[in-house]
Amino acid sequence: MHRSRILRALALLFAIALIASGCSGRDSEGSSSSSDGGSNSSDGGDNGGGEATGIDTSDCPDTDTAGIDGDTIVLASSFPQSGLTAAFAQISKGYKAYFDKLNADGGVEVAGKKYKIKVVDKDDEYNASKTVQNINEEVGADGTKAFAVFNVVGTANNVAIRESLDENCVPNLFAATGSPAWGNPDYPWLVGSTLAPYTLEAKAFADYLKENEPTAKVAMLVQDDDFGKAYEEGFKKAIEGTDITVADVATYPTGANEVASQITSLKASGADVFFNGATLLACPNALTEASADGWARKHTFVSGTCISKTLMGIATSTDPKSTDGVLATTNIKDPLNPAFADDEAMKEYLSVIDEYGADDVDPENGIVAYGYTQAAVLAYVLGQVDELSRSAVIDAVRSIDTEGLGLALDGVQIKMGADDPYLAENLQLIQYDSANQYFENVGDVIDFEGKTAELTPEDLING
Amino acid sequence: MDLFFDQVLNGVGTGVIYASVALALVIIYRTTGLLNFAQGEMALFSTFITYWFTEQGLGIVPALLASVVVSFVGGALIERILIRPVEGAANPLNVVIVTLGLFLAINALAQLIFIKPGQEALQMPPVFPKGDLVFGIRTATVGFAAVLVVECLLLYVLLQKTKIGLALRAVASNPESSRLVGINTGNMLMLGWGLAAALGAVAGTLAATRGSGFDSSLMQQVLVYAFAAAALGGFDSPLGAVVGGLVVGIADALTIQYIDALDGIELVVPFGLILVVLLVRPNGLFGRTIVERV
Repeated sequence: MHRSRILRALALLFAIALIASGCSGRDSEGSSSSSDGGSNSSDGGDNGGGEATGIDTSDCPDTDTAGIDGDTIVLASSFPQSGLTAAFAQISKGYKAYFDKLNADGGVEVAGKKYKIKVVDKDDEYNASKTVQNINEEVGADGTKAFAVFNVVGTANNVAIRESLDENCVPNLFAATGSPAWGNPDYPWLVGSTLAPYTLEAKAFADYLKENEPTAKVAMLVQDDDFGKAYEEGFKKAIEGTDITVADVATYPTGANEVASQITSLKASGADVFFNGATLLACPNALTEASADGWARKHTFVSGTCISKTLMGIATSTDPKSTDGVLATTNIKDPLNPAFADDEAMKEYLSVIDEYGADDVDPENGIVAYGYTQAAVLAYVLGQVDELSRSAVIDAVRSIDTEGLGLALDGVQIKMGADDPYLAENLQLIQYDSANQYFENVGDVIDFEGKTAELTPEDLING
Repeated sequence: MDLFFDQVLNGVGTGVIYASVALALVIIYRTTGLLNFAQGEMALFSTFITYWFTEQGLGIVPALLASVVVSFVGGALIERILIRPVEGAANPLNVVIVTLGLFLAINALAQLIFIKPGQEALQMPPVFPKGDLVFGIRTATVGFAAVLVVECLLLYVLLQKTKIGLALRAVASNPESSRLVGINTGNMLMLGWGLAAALGAVAGTLAATRGSGFDSSLMQQVLVYAFAAAALGGFDSPLGAVVGGLVVGIADALTIQYIDALDGIELVVPFGLILVVLLVRPNGLFGRTIVERV
């Protein structure tokens, strides 16, 4: 009697712990619910003041050139290498191949001297508190070890480290998610990657509907956190003043794969367009459920986090109808798209991965191409500065203005400025061809350059 | 009304999976008096074994059967090698801690062995054809329900109509006396774990082939719901596990449809139900009250 009561109590406790761990889980390059409010850090006020582009370094410690070891620049990173989201580790395979090639060619020339690039990284299993620990170890509590932080995966993970990196004036370059929060002016040392903010994906789809389905009734499936909120609020803002309506929004708990009931509910709303903002397995499951339910739709849109070969592939092999004609957006060249077979950048990418990539790396995996592109952007920035220092590098990043780096699509500007805190904003609409299993480009690159702030609800940026 | 019916069917579709995992929990509880927290991850591992067999070229059904056999042996070995040494200890919590450790270890091991770097999700052919309907209900739902009925019947026959079943029940109710009448309690405990692992193989494989694919989180939410189902039905009642599983699945689906305020936290409904049931009937809907002589 007594014993079974203890066991039962334990069972409940365990169940609760499980839910908690499930909830803190994953969200594919997504965001998570931790936004510890706007910082009260020192820099806020003086920012727009004196220098036009340079950021205020008056409160910075005297470590502007830390992390340069002879002729080697040391970068620190942290990302999941085991556990459920271990697949994100493939991003690093892309940039490491790029850096290895660069180093083999003698290194990157910074202010007349050649430097090699070395990345030290640790596994954080997508757990933000582990990220803090890892970065602390790699960069040092006083910021004297690594020169900069590079491509940390996860929104909550970058949010967790931004305060201390900001205080120590360590550049946190190219946070690997599309959170609009990377435009928060309170954190000038943090810069997002070339992944366009999620709200712009929603805007691109809204614009597409305006043209092709001006009275669309849209049903949305979103994850129950900031990642989902970015799609929902971004889309609602984008359709203001149009005849497009949102018929229903269904959410699913972060970490859940099962969305059949949500799809039944969305179908019942009478919507004729489906905005599938789900990520990881929930995304292909939503597509196959919608198809199995016989939900007649005019258009379906999927999150940019769902366009991978694996996720679209498993939905397609389950039911080819479920993915055919599905729309999404991207800003890098898809290695699977035969249209890029003769593209110079693509040929270069494939040969670099072939020669320098790890044995188990799949060049057709889009996130490998994405990682490679981040490395190309960093190499470009380092080539621009007059002296190798943290402040010079962050200034160069924040005034970058170029295009055609790595596998970035032609026409996608990589551009920042005093009023433009986002690295890449232009997007290409793409459409899935389920017979040939790749995304085809639709129309021209959409110009959102410099417009994220105006197209994004403010609380998503500064919240 | 159609919508209501559709959602109930969605609930049944997931409920049968919760029920079959709950059934495995009940089997171990009935034979050993333990809650096996590693049940979900054992089922995950078995699912990967099914997957491995399909990768070797077996069809999904032979692969599943092979996995059931391997899992049965594996479950028995886990009992023999990992559980038994701590079972003699005075404190039953020791074993619980071991199952918690297994929960983490098996998940990590499964990922290490079966998932290739960069693989976000795995896929194997469905056990029941997708897209076909039986009386307007998806084949998968009907098929899963049929599997569940067969499992229940087999268990009933095994536990109630055979000598081994009698021995199993005897060991669960009084290990000391069973030993005195010549029952090999050790073997019976191994058998209980083996059975639970075999049931897990079926549940996991069905769950994994229900949607488009699966990953290493397959059983984590399922286990939470399965515990809810078992608590609701009573930890010692196979029938309770099945009813509990269906109730929890249906309650979840209806919450998603009709209660917008609980969007994203649908889990509070099954847990609310458990709370109410346990307040009224502390042993669950179908559980027996244990009377102990003092």
